[in-house]
Parts: sequence; structure tokens; C-alpha cells
Amino acid sequence: MSLIDLQSWLLQEGVRDDLDTITRLTVRNELDNLAPDISVQSDEPIDWPRLLLAGSILARSDQRGDQEAALRVATAAIYLTDDQALKDAAAVLMGKLSNFRAITLATDRKLVAADLDGRLGIALRLEAQRREMDSSILVQSSGSWLQVNDFQQRFWISAAGDSWLSASAPTASGKTFLVLQWLIDQVIAGESRVAVYLAPTRALVSEIETNLNGILGNAGLIEVSSLPLAEKYKTARAGGARVIFVFTQERLHLLANVLSDVLSVDLLIVDEAHKIGDNQRGVVLQDAIERATRANPKLKAVFISPATQNPEELLTDAPEGVQTIAVDSDSTTVLQNLVVATQVPRKSKLWALTLRQHASELPIGVLQLASTPAGLKKRLAFIAAAVGERGGTLVYANGAGEAEEVADLISQLLPKLESIDPELTELAELARKGVHQDFRLAPLVELGVAFHYGNMPSLLRLEIERLFRSGKIRFLVCTSTLIEGVNLSCRTIVVRGPRKGKGHPMEPHDFWNLAGRAGRWGDEFQGNIICIDPEDTKAWPGGVPGRARYPIKRESDAVLDLGDGMADYLANRGLSDLSSLEDKDKFEQVGAYLLTTFMRLGSISAASLAKRHDAASMAKLDQTLGALAEQIEISVDLAARHPGVNAIGLQHLLEAFRAYRGNVENLLPAEVASNDSYDRFVTIMERVNEHLFLAFNPGTRIRLYALIVVKWLKGYSLARIIRDSIDWHQKVDKSFSLPQLIRGTMELVEQVARFRAPKYLSAYMDVLHLHLREIGREDLIDDGLDIGTQLEFGVSSMTLLSLMELGLSRMSAVALYEKIARDDLSRAECVVWISERMSQFQAMDIPAIIIREVRARLTLSGEATTQ
Amino acid sequence: MPAKPISLGHMHFDKRGDAVKYLTYMLHRYDLGDRVSTEDSVILRAALEHHQNSTDKIGCGISYFSVRSADFGTRCFWVNRPDGTTEKFSISASIRG
Repeated sequence: MSLIDLQSWLLQEGVRDDLDTITRLTVRNELDNLAPDISVQSDEPIDWPRLLLAGSILARSDQRGDQEAALRVATAAIYLTDDQALKDAAAVLMGKLSNFRAITLATDRKLVAADLDGRLGIALRLEAQRREMDSSILVQSSGSWLQVNDFQQRFWISAAGDSWLSASAPTASGKTFLVLQWLIDQVIAGESRVAVYLAPTRALVSEIETNLNGILGNAGLIEVSSLPLAEKYKTARAGGARVIFVFTQERLHLLANVLSDVLSVDLLIVDEAHKIGDNQRGVVLQDAIERATRANPKLKAVFISPATQNPEELLTDAPEGVQTIAVDSDSTTVLQNLVVATQVPRKSKLWALTLRQHASELPIGVLQLASTPAGLKKRLAFIAAAVGERGGTLVYANGAGEAEEVADLISQLLPKLESIDPELTELAELARKGVHQDFRLAPLVELGVAFHYGNMPSLLRLEIERLFRSGKIRFLVCTSTLIEGVNLSCRTIVVRGPRKGKGHPMEPHDFWNLAGRAGRWGDEFQGNIICIDPEDTKAWPGGVPGRARYPIKRESDAVLDLGDGMADYLANRGLSDLSSLEDKDKFEQVGAYLLTTFMRLGSISAASLAKRHDAASMAKLDQTLGALAEQIEISVDLAARHPGVNAIGLQHLLEAFRAYRGNVENLLPAEVASNDSYDRFVTIMERVNEHLFLAFNPGTRIRLYALIVVKWLKGYSLARIIRDSIDWHQKVDKSFSLPQLIRGTMELVEQVARFRAPKYLSAYMDVLHLHLREIGREDLIDDGLDIGTQLEFGVSSMTLLSLMELGLSRMSAVALYEKIARDDLSRAECVVWISERMSQFQAMDIPAIIIREVRARLTLSGEATTQ
Repeated sequence: MPAKPISLGHMHFDKRGDAVKYLTYMLHRYDLGDRVSTEDSVILRAALEHHQNSTDKIGCGISYFSVRSADFGTRCFWVNRPDGTTEKFSISASIRG
């Protein structure tokens, strides 16, 4: 019998019964409010030595199922036995799985007595030490050794050298931690002077920036910045402090624009790289990677993605001659229990829980609810509150409104706490002062419950995530934002009929991106995924999905694979009436990318993407693009500055400027302090809609969009924008629902003021400047901060920008700016202003979390400047 | 009632209604947020001087005129003063005089 045969026999027959027994017991341990176990138990005691031996044989396999079984045996032996020798053996088994964090956890929790090595015999101790050494990596910059798992080790070894690397591993593999360590190592001890870490969302950008600063401490060796500031780049290139920029793809383009593409990035890390397939922003990411590579063909790129099928796909566009390596892992670091919950017939308060395993189902027990769950929201809330009572429980809701309601229901089921934790009080204060006095989040967090969605200000969201990780927030109700790039794991996740965005059932890989967050490696041994009503085809049209990995496919490739749709769209795109264009959301961004690529290369068939599509469709596209390009006078450089904005639209806008008969000064935006500012934005947005692209949709809301843009640029706080909106509703006697108004305002700020407006208004300005140069009116061109950057950060004054350059979130920067009289303070002057008043902040009614952020940032940057 | 003529700068109108039409046409020649041209401003200034509250409307002086939005999605001429204050005025109230 070969080793593989033996492993397979063990799993299927050899120790199957014992495995089922310990699985059932360990899973029951994880879940709260189960009815007492009345099922018939086998009288046979568990044969632990035999199981542990089987575990150690299974540990030698690289199959996920075998490794899971080995980890299950080790975990069960640690939890379920009292015999120290068995627990020690279990810890050794974890060592064989290179799962050193689990051993540390077991020791910390006193499940395994301290000084394990001392109790092992000499032979075993030598073996354990050898294993630890084999599984360690040397961090050059600090000279310390880091214990790692198999995936981490392979990543570290493969990442050396110049080749491009694409690494994929499940959520709880310690990816981010290791990549950040590696990045810092490269920048401190390696050759990289300028590194860019791309993350697909602003929330993830803030999180990575915070983590990097945390690891770097106050050393001041490296600058970390999420603002596209030319100065930091130039300093690093000139031999000053090296810099790590943490950007979204849009911000990398902003930096490239500021530097007129004289941008040499040594190291580019692309996190959540599978997002290259995202509708509308995927191609902007692809464009950012290509742009950085064009600017420096020697750039080293590292792609990171969670459990993807084909990480090597990301390497196909590496420059010629560059070697590529894919590191793929499917290993298990924590046990993930997929449990389905079905109502016991005629007993609405009792729910049968069943564990789904590879080939079988295992009944776990019956969950008891405190009240009858009438309606689907209550069902989700009550089951979550019962099964995950001990906390670390994430609940998935379809949409922000539902998240708020489910969180509210859960909070009502929890016992009132005798006292409120001070950190929760501070978070509630931030919600009340930073958003609105009656923002629903505030009273909920005081009870240890929170909700979380995409358009929330990042300071608030990061604090929610931090307190959820620390256990003070016990229940977090989230939306699909979580699968859009937030690093957050949990102990238990509860789902019913998950949808992605507005209404589309989740694909299996999206579901597993979500479900994969169950289990916090190093904090717990197991994670639980509770799926409610698995048989309900409305909730789960394709059933509860089996484990699946994400297929990486570039947005551009996906759109081109649709057949002639792209060519047809482009053919119509040249016409002047933009309102009749169909499927713009699908085609516009990729169409813009293709047209710019065509303009650069003279043919799309010469582009790297052509190798992935058939020659005939490429030739057809070339023909259509050629016809468009003939009409275009806009230079390829100008078009490349605006990814996702179509060059033909830019051309039409230029023609509209040329045909404009009024005073050309009226084409410029008015500065936000001016009385004309709002109306100018209204007109500019109308011009954009008419000539460039129907970006501000529906047109009837343009006034609202312009108003938000002006307020955002003026540096108003979110709280003030919300207050103004309430005042307006009351003044015109229009009814409103406060939660909806709050969510709506957050959405307008994020989606219009920070996303669509900067994208299209900065294109508008660039074309206008071209026109002004053509007609000899350079005097009207202002070289100040460009409108795209102003909008992305919501700043129009130097003081506000200086505050954000210090590393403050906008929420904190604005809170201070409201108290600062002058609008022209430099960074140093802001530091002086803050230092003089730090002790009065509380009396100024500034929320404690903001004070904390100001303190942290000022210490960091203060010490950095003394270097 | 016989038609009342009115002069606004160098423009002469036989009927006040004609002046209202002229100014309304002028108002719509602009986009929202536009600054009114020097040429048109001469006529607007004359019109504003006819306004029943002309002293209040002009206040500390006129820097320039703008076309901006007014209530309920309408548009209006606005007078912008040197002290940064601004106020809208209606065409018909200016001509009625």
C-alpha cells in the first residue's frame, strides 16, 4: 500500500468513525445555545494514540482534505483530552503541519502546558527544532527569524530576485502580514527606493497604511503615504527617505499625472489582484499596472489574491524576458466548519444544524432560539444572536439598510451590559459627532453590535473593524463591501441567501471569499460558516455552494469575449448623441482603454491582450478603432492620463469648447468660495454629460451632485453636509427618513464627489487647458492642485491638505480645520497649531478617536522629521 | 393704457414688454454660473437702477453680474457686490420700475 493509498484509506475507512465523533464534539464546542445532546453515543472510547498516529500520516499529504483531518485530530486532542502526553502529541502534530501559531495559541490558552520542548524526548526535540528551523525565514532588515507556514515560506523564497510573482492563498494564511514584512524588508534592506502597494478600495488603503506604520513603528526609516504627492516621490528618488505609496489604482494614475509619467516604481504590489476582473474599475487597475511597467520596464510586480484558480494568469502580461513564478496554496491553517441550519418541522424556535463535509453530512445538534423568528430578517438576526452568542460573529446582510435593521434586531436580544466599555463609548461618540446625533450605529455599538458598509467614512469603519477584532464588538453585520476588499476575519459567519451588490446571487467563488473569513488563524482553532435555509431555492438558487476558488479574468478579456458587442459599442460611441448609447456600464471603460491602446500602438493586434483573443475579432476591432482614431486630435498622452475616459469623448468635448461662443472664462470652474461656484459645476456637469460621457446620471440630479461637490471641496464635514440636508428637507417641508438620508449622503460623497466627479472633471480640465493653450489664453491656466486630487481628498485649502499630508483621515482633518482660522497653513504650521492646543481638544468637543489619531500621527511624523 | 417706452443704456424699447423679452432672451443666452459680459452688464445695471428696491439691491456697489439658479429650478440674474454679498433680482421687477 503506497502512502497515498494509506492516507486515502485512513480518511475513508480507517479512522472515519472516530473522526466523525471528534468532529461532532469539536464543532459543538464552537456553537452556542445548542439543545442538550440526546443522540446515542457510542460506548467505544476514542482511541487517541491511534488517531494521532493517523493524523501524523495524514499530515504528510499535500491534499486539503488530509491536512484538515490531521488538524482536526490535533485540535480535538488538545480540547477533548485531559492527558498531558496526548496534548503534547497533538502540539507536535501541529508542528508537523507547520502550524506554529496554533501551538502558540494552545500554549497561551493553557490547553498545552508551557515548555513543550522540555517534555519531548531528545530525538523528538531535535526533530521539532529542525522543523522550526526549516520553517523559518530571515528578515534581512531586522536580522530576526520569523516562523512561517508552508505558503509563507514559499512566498518568501520565490519573491527573491527580479521575477514577477503571483501568489494565491486562502484568507487565513497570513498573506497580508507576510507581504507587508517582505515589502518593508525590500525597501529597508533591498534596492527598492519607491514601492507602490495597490489596494482596490480606499478602506483597504487606510488599513494597509495603518498596518505598515504599525510595523515600522517610529523609526522614520521609510515614508508611508496614501496621498499622490510628487514631493515624497522626488525625495525618495533623489536619495532621501525611501517611500511606500499605498494607493487605489486611481491614485496611482493621479501620481503618474502629477509627474507627467516620469514615474519609476521599483516594486509594485497588487493586493486583491483578482479585482482586475471587476466591472468598470478592473480595467483601470490593468491600465495602472501597464502604465507603471511602461514607465519602468524593470519594475518588479507582485500580485496577491485570495484562493484563486489561476494566479499565473496575472503574469501573462509581464514584459518580455522577465521570469514569472506563481505560488499557489490551498492549505488549511484553521478548521472551517460549514454548517447548514434548517428549521425543525413545526417548531420555529428549533433549528437543526448539520455539518457539511466533503462527501457526507454530519448532524451536530439543535439550536434553540429565544423568540419566534417571524420574517426573514428576524430569522437571520435571531439565529446569529443565538449560535454566535460568544462573539466574533459576522452576519451578512444584503444591503446597507438591511444591515442596520438586522443589527438593531440582534442588539435587542442581547443582555444589557452593566457598564459600557470606554472604547465603545468613544466609537459611539464618533458616530454621533462625525455623522449625526441620531445615527443608528451609536446606540448599537454601546451594546457591542455594529454594522458596516462601503460608503462609511474610513475612520469610523476602521475603528469598527478594530473593535470587532479585539472582541469588544461582538456582532458585526456587514454587506458585500466585505468581499470588495476588506481584510476582516471572524469566528463565525452567518448567512442566508447572500447577494452581491444589488440583487445578483453570489457566485460560488464570491461566497467562498466571504465564507473563507471564518476562522482567525492564531486567535482560534476553528471558524464556522452557518448557512440558513439551505434547501430554500429563493435564498440559494444553486444550493449552498461547494468550496470554490476565484477564476481570475481581466475585465478587458471578459468584455472582449462577449463577441462583437465591444466593436458595435465603439462604432456607436463616435456618434454625438450619448443618451442613446446602450450597455455603457459594460463597455465604456474597456472601450476607452482599447482606444488609447490603439492610439499608442497603431493596432490592437500588437497589444499584449491580443494573444488571448482570436485574430479575426482583433482585426474587426482594429478597423472600428481606426475609424474612431482618425477623428481624434487629442494626444495619446492626454488620453492616457484619464483611464476609463474615452478619447473620442475628450475629442467631442474639445470640439464643443472650440464652438463655444461666450466668454471663455465662463468655461472654467469658479473657485469654491465664489458665489458662482455651484452653478458653474452644474453647467460643467451638463457639458460633461452632453459631450464627454453621461457620467452624472440621471441628469435631473445634477444640481444635487453639484451641491455635494461644492460642499465637499469646501471641506465640510460629513456631519455638516447631513445637517444641511436635513435643514433643507425641513425648510421645504419634505418628508424624509433619517437612516436613508444619512446613507444617501454618504453614498453621494463616495460615489459622486470622490469617484465620478474627480474622474470626469479632471478630464474636463485637461481638455479645457488644451483648448486655452490653442487659443493663446494660457493666462487662465492655474497650476495649483488639480481638481481630481482636490475632489478625491475633499480639500481645496492648503491647511486642509497639509493636515491630510500629516497622515490624518479626512474626518479628523476636517474636525481640526473647523477650528483653524487660517486656510494657508503649511504642514509645519499645522503641527505648531495642533501642539499648542492639544490639551484643549476635548473641551473643543473633538471626538476622542480623532484626538487619538491626531496624537498617533503627530508622534510618527514628528519623530520622522528629526531623523 | 398707452405703451410706456424705456431706455436701458444705449438700448431703447418702445414697450416695457420688449425690454422684458430682451432681458429674458439675454438671461437664457448664458449658462448657469456664467459671468455676464461687460456689454450686457451696462444694460443690466440700467435695468437694476429702475428696480423698485434699487438702492437695497445695489447696496455697496456692483462688482459684476452672474446668471445663476434661483428657486424651483429657475434661473435669474444676480448682482455680486464688492463685499462678497450677492442677491438675485427679477427682470420684471426691474422694468416695472
